[in-house]
Amino acid sequence: MAYADLREFLETLRKNNQLLNYSDPVRPEPDLSSAAAATTNLTDRGPALLFDTIEGYEQGKARVALNVVGSWPNHALMLGMAKDTPVKEQFFEFAERGEAFPGRVERRTDAPWQEHTLTEGIDLFQILPLFRLNEHDVGSYIDKAIVVTRDPDDPEHFGKQNAGIYRIQVKDKDRLGIQPLAAHDIGLHLHKAEERGENLPIAIAIGNEPVISTVGGMPLAYDQSEYEMAAAIQGAPYRIAKAPLTGLDVPWGSEVILEGEIICGEREIEGPFGEFTGYYSGARSQPVIRVTRVSHRTDPIFEHLYLGKPWTEMDYALALNTSVPLYRQLKADFPEVVAVNAMYTQGLLGIISVKQRFGGHAKAVGMRAMTTPHGLAYCKVIIVDDDDIDPFNLAQVMWALSVRFHPQHDLVTVPNGSVLALDPSSDPDGIVHKVVIDATTPISPETRGHYAHEVANPSATAAWETLLKGLIT
Amino acid sequence: MTSPLDTTVCPRCEQSTVRVMTTSPVPGAWTMHVCDTCFYSYRSTEGPTATDPASFPQDWKVDPADIPGMLAMPPVPQRRG
Ligand SMILES: [Zn+2]
Repeated sequence: MAYADLREFLETLRKNNQLLNYSDPVRPEPDLSSAAAATTNLTDRGPALLFDTIEGYEQGKARVALNVVGSWPNHALMLGMAKDTPVKEQFFEFAERGEAFPGRVERRTDAPWQEHTLTEGIDLFQILPLFRLNEHDVGSYIDKAIVVTRDPDDPEHFGKQNAGIYRIQVKDKDRLGIQPLAAHDIGLHLHKAEERGENLPIAIAIGNEPVISTVGGMPLAYDQSEYEMAAAIQGAPYRIAKAPLTGLDVPWGSEVILEGEIICGEREIEGPFGEFTGYYSGARSQPVIRVTRVSHRTDPIFEHLYLGKPWTEMDYALALNTSVPLYRQLKADFPEVVAVNAMYTQGLLGIISVKQRFGGHAKAVGMRAMTTPHGLAYCKVIIVDDDDIDPFNLAQVMWALSVRFHPQHDLVTVPNGSVLALDPSSDPDGIVHKVVIDATTPISPETRGHYAHEVANPSATAAWETLLKGLIT
Repeated sequence: MTSPLDTTVCPRCEQSTVRVMTTSPVPGAWTMHVCDTCFYSYRSTEGPTATDPASFPQDWKVDPADIPGMLAMPPVPQRRG
């Protein structure tokens, strides 16, 4: 199932009762972000929110969409699955589709965002209802846009063209701040451009169908194209179009395309900004973008993402992105790994289920997770469970932890591991002890505890689960 | 609705470098202000902790003297040969 654009996906959500169209007047601050936070606080099955009456804008002329994939039903619908699909099934489906990488792209010249063009007197606030997300953010941010740049040393290489999501501070009507970390692909592009003494052309695509936003947060190899991964995940060629000023490939279906340049050698104070860790990141000196061309649809929808104390839309959006690569890397070494749930604060905490081969095996699997590329910056706490535990079912995980974990034997502490500097527990920034909590049942040669007589479900339980499905709501 | 506050002093860094960035498409609803020293921006309709230098929380202020020395992320590389 492929959605052409955000509007088509919102329509699917509406048909599935997963879209709340709110038309009473709202204030930019604090109503919009509060509504997004409230929705994920209330439920993990909540709707996307669409606001069309925002103070200071004509009704319907400025619209804000929030929580677009901010729940499990919405995530399932993104994948074209039934909205009640369990998370574990979504996980295996997502992992399987990724195998189809690279998918094909479909180049088009008729993008709907070509409708309106602005090259002079650009004022982003007139086009988009920008607003402050968290009380102590330095200003308005754009944090769910697809940001496209090319490798200045190899500009024709399609795979090296990067499409990712970065936090962007709106500093003025046509001036933005961006956070391209050195380890990110865009950071490498900027590094090369600045070595060459050149500005880095950039395109920022706002308001997209959900698959590219999901892939934009996925850790891919440097020369792998996000568009070819989006094609694999959606199971159909991915539509792209050339942005007119920069020639960068952007999604065909976007609402708004901003184009401009990251200015060579320029750094300027940016932040603070409330981050996905649930804490603010402080002010730093960061690169600056000058926007010189805007293309947009009539009455564009500003698709935005509320970020703050988990769970927010980001946790749903990145859940399988984080879990699946870790699963595939672990499974390559240890085929006994059954599933990986690394969706807590982007995998700072992860849960792995494994069919243990011998005593101590699970601990090795847990430590391997810490040495995967993602694990180097995350995987601070790893819980390892037996294969009878669904790592996406926290009641089961907590049960295993409560009865199968022995604090004297099952806790492995790795001192002074690496972690992302944003982890507020790291001290110094970027360094933290890590732990494997082995909640698997001890097996030979590790014989201890009293695990011989586990209670099984009554014999017809599975049949009754099927029968009762649909009768219980 | 316009802010009755002093809109020339930045609530965050307290420099007199605040200017009007833009105003609402529907006239009179709000004004966006921005500071050219610390790039803090705020809307006239936000509460005093966002708009008023005296009410802006001390913890979130910035000393303009600290700005030039802030860590560059990422650092600017050397130009090639
Ligand atoms: Zn200031």
